[in-house]
Amino acid sequence: MRLAAFVVGLALCFTPAAAQQVSDPTGSGDSLVWRMPPSSPNMQMLMAPFMGIVPDVTPFLPGPGVDVLTLSEATVGGLVRLADGDTLRLEATLLRREIDGRMIKVYGFNGQSPGPTIRVPQHSTIIVQFTNRIDFPTTLRWHGVRLDNQFDGVPGQTQSPVRVGETYTAEVYFPDAGAFWYHPHQRGHIAQELGLYGAIIVDSPDLDYYSSANLEETLLLDDVLLDDLGILPFGFEAPVQALMGRFGNVLLINGQPDYRRSVNKGDVVRLFLTDASNTRPFNLRIEGGVRMKLVGGDLGKFEREEWISSVIIAPGQRYIVEVMFEEEGEFALTNRITAVDHFLGEFEYQVDTLGIFEVSSRPTDFDYSAQFETLRTYDGGFDEVRAQAGRPVDEELVLSLRIGALPLPVIRMLEMDTLYYPPVEFNDAMPMMNWLSTGMNVLWLMHDPAPDVDPRDLGPATGWRFRQGDLVKIRLFNDPDSWHPMSHPLHLHGQRFVVLEQDGVPSSNLVWRDTVLVPVGSTVDLMVEMSNPGSWMFNCQIPEHLGAGMSMSFVVQPTGA
Amino acid sequence: MISIVLAALAGAGLTGPESPTECRLAAPLAPEFYVIELVSTRRIPGSGASTGTVDVTFAPSPFGVSLTENGDYLRDLEINVSNLRAPDQGSFVVWVTTPQLDSIERVGVLGDGTLRGQVRWNKFLVVISLEQDDASTAPRWAGPIILRGMSKSGAMHTSAGHGPFETENCASYGFRE
Repeated sequence: MRLAAFVVGLALCFTPAAAQQVSDPTGSGDSLVWRMPPSSPNMQMLMAPFMGIVPDVTPFLPGPGVDVLTLSEATVGGLVRLADGDTLRLEATLLRREIDGRMIKVYGFNGQSPGPTIRVPQHSTIIVQFTNRIDFPTTLRWHGVRLDNQFDGVPGQTQSPVRVGETYTAEVYFPDAGAFWYHPHQRGHIAQELGLYGAIIVDSPDLDYYSSANLEETLLLDDVLLDDLGILPFGFEAPVQALMGRFGNVLLINGQPDYRRSVNKGDVVRLFLTDASNTRPFNLRIEGGVRMKLVGGDLGKFEREEWISSVIIAPGQRYIVEVMFEEEGEFALTNRITAVDHFLGEFEYQVDTLGIFEVSSRPTDFDYSAQFETLRTYDGGFDEVRAQAGRPVDEELVLSLRIGALPLPVIRMLEMDTLYYPPVEFNDAMPMMNWLSTGMNVLWLMHDPAPDVDPRDLGPATGWRFRQGDLVKIRLFNDPDSWHPMSHPLHLHGQRFVVLEQDGVPSSNLVWRDTVLVPVGSTVDLMVEMSNPGSWMFNCQIPEHLGAGMSMSFVVQPTGA
Repeated sequence: MISIVLAALAGAGLTGPESPTECRLAAPLAPEFYVIELVSTRRIPGSGASTGTVDVTFAPSPFGVSLTENGDYLRDLEINVSNLRAPDQGSFVVWVTTPQLDSIERVGVLGDGTLRGQVRWNKFLVVISLEQDDASTAPRWAGPIILRGMSKSGAMHTSAGHGPFETENCASYGFRE
């Protein structure tokens, strides 16, 4: 009775959003009807006060009016090897895919979703002719690649969006060896969620750059949000799930929920891992005692290889690990996390299997166990950075949230939800509030510290100007006193950096990065090598946060300018 | 929390990279949001005015965040206690335990008021007890508890049977009134 009165009371308080309850006329199974994301029974209890409220944006699904059965089925696993000067044509289109018995519309390149893996030599330049045949204008960007600024793919900053039917040509130069990826930068909350991305492997000319391995495998980690009616609608004018980003409920590797890979007993496998999900950090393990060796990160190798029990990877990040399968059998690749259950006020263990490695009894063709046992070091030019680690901070950013016309029940719940925030959000612990938050009613900020100004009155930081060749120390602080603080994977375009320290604890094993996860309450110091001139973006990699304002720009002036 | 923000904000006059010698900030600290306040139980003479904190940071990891194999946070603890008179006999021993006290681990002897340790639970209590010896092999404390504190995550509590969910029966979720 009291619960009912509470619900009615709250219902009287909010202003109903414009609800577009539209059924998809194609009968493909997708439904434009706004509905809350699937969740556990406990969380459904917490959803009660929100019944009847819908996001304040228009629901959108890919391929309006297109029968899913008329679309080509997406393929996977394509590899394109390119040499310096080669041309790559990428055509983005609508495709279909069956996931867990549901036929859904996805996006992809050249008939593949995710798009083909691009493999190029370091220091090469390729020409990319990108044709946009998806439902809306978009751009293509080359995550982590320190390329010419004009081809960075940021709409409104480095180029105009590529309109539907248009072709855009970019020259992409690859100065660094490592693992990278390409993805859209306009309405990424839709297009990236639906598979419009692909991996890039850049090979060093040094044939001994990595240890010997029997196999190399590129794994793009993702998830997708489905219910019985298919893909849950997106916001068209702005993203929904703007508070925490869009967590999926089906985990994917290379676009598939049932990844399997056969290897021989004794094989050493090098894995190039990319978190291509919108918002989910993974804690990846290979069960059964399979040993993992950390080799590289975003832009190359760690200064020291080391043994690890799992890989903690956040959206946009890449890691290179080597594993050795010493025993015959099946070994699961799992995501082991502690999820937050706000209704019970508890953490709960969750284990999801993303894929299986099948190890045959056939012995490996080449025994690389000795190389696997060796932990190598790498001189990545870290000494100069480390020598300047103790210098004062040059620039600071505070990460916080400003809320607007959120439905009142959401505001009330946010007020109640102030006792504790996990440092990292590994699951969508508040799907109902998250779903009702949009890029129209929340604003994520990367702002200057300003002791005399209410952070709610601040906008993005401005005025960052550097010179090519500068080493710049940047401090990031994820303010836990803001509304619903959350961990952010921040991505710096066009440059590379190392994490000097986190919460006063120096990093003992450096690697060049372009994306760093900043937990709630944490202070992270970066040393950025401003090597690439131009006007660049610094943003949260979670596209729902980017679509809710979480970005800023900075300028690197060329030497001699 | 406010102090760390103010410390961070103290250097609001931004400095460009051309003038890197100006020092604008104090060294960063453990996230104040997760600092555990230790509260005296006043169980023994000379401990009533004692205070303490536990700084909680991630154990060093190439990923920045550190997790156990089950996905719990793996965190370093730095325990600092002040105004606690050295015992005439025995030692102050620091323990960590789950809130249900079903798992207890000894961190070590609190020597000069400072101790470092590690915890692999997301919700936990920090307990400092007075032991007759250093309790190096004891499964749990035997002496009186002098100071105790709870991880920030301990503030999360079930909604069942409370507030707008009063119609829910706590017992059905395994909680007792």
